Amino acid sequence: MSTAFGSTRSNIGLHVGLMAMCLVIVLPPLWVLRTSLVPEPQAYSTSVMPGFTLDNYIALLTRNKFGVFYLNSVVVALGSVVVALPFAAMTGYAFARFRTGGRFARFLVLATQMLPPVALVLPTFAIFRATGLTNSVPGLILAYAAINLPFLTWILMGFFEGVPIDLEWAAMTDGATAWGAFWRIVVPVSLPGLAAAGVLGFILSWNEFLFALVLTGPSTQTIPVALASLQSSNGVQIAKVSAGVVLAVLPLVIASRFIQRFIVQGLTFGSVK
Amino acid sequence: MASIELRHVSKRYAPTVYGVRDVSLRIEDGEFIIFLGPSGCGKSTTLRMIAGLESVSDGEILIGGQAVNAIPPRDRNVAVVFQSYALYPHMSVAQNMAFGLKMRGTDPGLIRSKVDQAATLLGLTPYLDRKPAALSGGQRQRVALGRAIVRDPAAFLLDEPLSNLDAQLRGEMRLELVKLHRRLGRTIVHVTHDQVEAMTMGDRICIMRGGAMIQVGRPLEVYANPAETFVARFLATPPMNLMPAVLRGAGGDDLVVETGEGLALAVPSPYRSAYAAYRDKPVILGLRPEDFYEAPHASDWQPVPFTVVAVEALGAELVLVGQVGATGGVAPQKIAPPQEIAVRLSRHVVAEPGQMLTLSLDPNPMHLFDVETTRLIPRPAPGVPARRVA
Ligand SMILES: Nc1ncnc2c1ncn2[C@@H]1O[C@H](COP(=O)(O)OP(=O)(O)O)[C@@H](O)[C@H]1O
Ligand SMILES: [Mg+2]
Repeated sequence: MSTAFGSTRSNIGLHVGLMAMCLVIVLPPLWVLRTSLVPEPQAYSTSVMPGFTLDNYIALLTRNKFGVFYLNSVVVALGSVVVALPFAAMTGYAFARFRTGGRFARFLVLATQMLPPVALVLPTFAIFRATGLTNSVPGLILAYAAINLPFLTWILMGFFEGVPIDLEWAAMTDGATAWGAFWRIVVPVSLPGLAAAGVLGFILSWNEFLFALVLTGPSTQTIPVALASLQSSNGVQIAKVSAGVVLAVLPLVIASRFIQRFIVQGLTFGSVK
Repeated sequence: MASIELRHVSKRYAPTVYGVRDVSLRIEDGEFIIFLGPSGCGKSTTLRMIAGLESVSDGEILIGGQAVNAIPPRDRNVAVVFQSYALYPHMSVAQNMAFGLKMRGTDPGLIRSKVDQAATLLGLTPYLDRKPAALSGGQRQRVALGRAIVRDPAAFLLDEPLSNLDAQLRGEMRLELVKLHRRLGRTIVHVTHDQVEAMTMGDRICIMRGGAMIQVGRPLEVYANPAETFVARFLATPPMNLMPAVLRGAGGDDLVVETGEGLALAVPSPYRSAYAAYRDKPVILGLRPEDFYEAPHASDWQPVPFTVVAVEALGAELVLVGQVGATGGVAPQKIAPPQEIAVRLSRHVVAEPGQMLTLSLDPNPMHLFDVETTRLIPRPAPGVPARRVA
């Protein structure tokens, strides 16, 4: 039939278009991957694969101590989420269920996100220097936890508002305290949301540059700072930088897989009556 | 084990915004009481205040004679079944049912046997390991009920538990709930907006509107003597026919109710003195659809000319909607079209739209309501003895 034929044709057109769009998006990251696997002298060559080597990665991990920085980044990002998430959950829940703090408290939480990070980093540095927290991994964890807290609170508040209050009422008539209802019912039911928030917080910490630059020293650097320092006075070693970028992006690729699943789960759980 | 008493209980959301206003009621131990009213009338709010889930703005609530205003829900020993069922989605059916006992630190072996017992009672045994998401609506409803039963509470508070079920299942569960009440003997407060549930399930009905309690009584009492036109219309389908009328003298003590449609109904003699004060005043005449018949059965029954507008053959009975009066159509001097009334006749009657019938009206169950207050004008009970099945 002519309509079927027409729709097949437009389907083909659609797919060609989509593939073109995908190429536009995927090509630059693929080129970075390619550059990271090419010897430094041929990095700027226009041929697709002028050579193959793992030297860039090996050099990064041995000479540039990327292993240490990688570990720093993982510890700091995970640590900041572990510290911030419980507080964010409790604050978000309180905001969602009670009138705690009123509108003003909610606005304040949001307001912290409106300040440019530069305005916060210098006071933080002053405080950290006075308390001896500069150049330490725990110090950076604290700073990131503080940065994550309002953001996670806001996300979780929205999530908890979607949890039917009947569930808590049922738990409370079943013999649970308000805290028990939160801990035994709301938290387990909200696990997808908590996980999604945790992954988002992890990504936020993982990518943070300014605080890490100001608050860390040579041994406590994180990946973004280490990447930046590869652009030294004797020029940019593009192949090595590419290898660093690939390493830096790796956890985010993994995280995005998780977050997709959790966010979808989080959005659909409301239909469970 | 637990009577429930509400003393001038109010719930205020803002200084002048009431969810529930000055409700006083005593529910006896073991009683099955129905809260009936349209959506938004404060039924759920009242229930939640009894459960302790919502604070009481004014007044006092007593459970088992003890004031509970300051007692948290977990210590009130009442179980709530929510309209949404509120099953814990991350727990299996068995865990859902066990949760209340677990919270109270009951011995695990005892929990298992109680859960098994309730599951058997409700036919849930095959589903004990399933999550709520994998259950049908009716099964979820049973789990919610089971979760309440397992705890053996002093009172059950049910908030529209049947409203999410299809008609057939609702009918079955109505019966099951009544049986369950007989078996457990616990106080049950059942909230509904369904008149059939209200009429058939409870010992007493408590009718609410706009946050206030309008009438409390046994179902048939309330049906026979609705305190207000609102109750008269709300409690049955089709509702009581209400017609603006005037009460006129007709020689001596005789009174006649005249409606705008030309119906002139002689007031039965036992009611005359009760209605005397309303002579020559406007009233609202209330006649139930089932007080119309196709033929007279007693000498005081009165003929009513009736023009059929619509026919609803329900199988067991025949409901006719139509106009009182011979002509049908709109009387020229009137702006409003003549009011339609519903009559309920035997299924053997054959009628078609447009047809003119002469029906027979039993005037004894009639009621008059005050035009201003819409309240029932009290009269003596009709002298007709109730018939018993031999
Ligand atoms: N938090 C609230 N703030 C203001 N009004 C409310 C609130 N909760 C309920 N109400 C009002 O109280 C009234 C009674 O509600 P509810 O008890 O749920 O009615 P029902 O269960 O009879 O349908 C409704 O008019 C509703 O709008
Ligand atoms: Mg309700």
